[in-house]
Amino acid sequence: MGRSLKKGPYVSPALLKKIDVLNRSGEKRVIKTWSRDSTIFPQMVGHTLGVHDGRRHVPVYVTENMVGHKLGEFAITRFFRGHGHKSEKVTVAKKKAKT
Amino acid sequence: MPGPGERRPRRREAPPEPASQVGTDFLAVGEIAAPHGVRGYFRVRILTDFPQRFKKLRQVYLGEEHRSCEVQAVRVLPDRVLMKIVGVDTPEAARPLGGQLVYVPVADAMPLGEGEYYWYQIIGLEVWTQSGQHLGKVTDILATGSNDVYIVQGDGREVLVPAIEDVIAEVDLVQGRLVITPLPGML
Repeated sequence: MGRSLKKGPYVSPALLKKIDVLNRSGEKRVIKTWSRDSTIFPQMVGHTLGVHDGRRHVPVYVTENMVGHKLGEFAITRFFRGHGHKSEKVTVAKKKAKT
Repeated sequence: MPGPGERRPRRREAPPEPASQVGTDFLAVGEIAAPHGVRGYFRVRILTDFPQRFKKLRQVYLGEEHRSCEVQAVRVLPDRVLMKIVGVDTPEAARPLGGQLVYVPVADAMPLGEGEYYWYQIIGLEVWTQSGQHLGKVTDILATGSNDVYIVQGDGREVLVPAIEDVIAEVDLVQGRLVITPLPGML
């Protein structure tokens, strides 16, 4: 059963308080959180949250299209390392390489 | 002909055809799964970020010995690829191929945009901060659904580096260096 609309989406009050402080000061820092069940709110966009995956805090950069999802969706708790072959998988580092 | 009770000698399998490009590095683009249908097609689990590249493949290299094979037909489905190679015309012939990886030469890798790299290019880079602190080496990459996270191992500790513009300052593939600007609270 879904959560009651009367209550609104859940977010850890402590986390939201820390985000509001950063937004007021304009500071950018990683906020560690264990609250995987918190909903991503619009005021979190542009911040990097260290979401606990059960072992460590995975830094997740929050973008607009993540709003409404839960933080835990972006820090997987099971990690398959693969078989070690080189594959055609791409990562975006957003900076041009010196070649 | 062997007599009754005698075992028929096993037919020798043909030796693998050597890769035509000796010394070439290869990238895995798929993994062969089960045969499909009765005409020698087999399913391929997609391992590349460019599934449509299968449509243009004319030659692939199978298995760890990189056996060169000519592609006869390819059908790209949403979650997998159906492939048929020359000389494999029955499900019985396709079945032993199961589990083998499908490779393409690195030279045939899909071109990337600015700021994009293949995982194998990033893994192994030495990570430094802009202040000159050495953090270790990238050992793996974690795909979070948002940004990728580079797992850096060094000096008995692990650092997770988000691959975002605020953090990644420079990627130098020639010198094997990744320079980062750590956010406060990251290290």
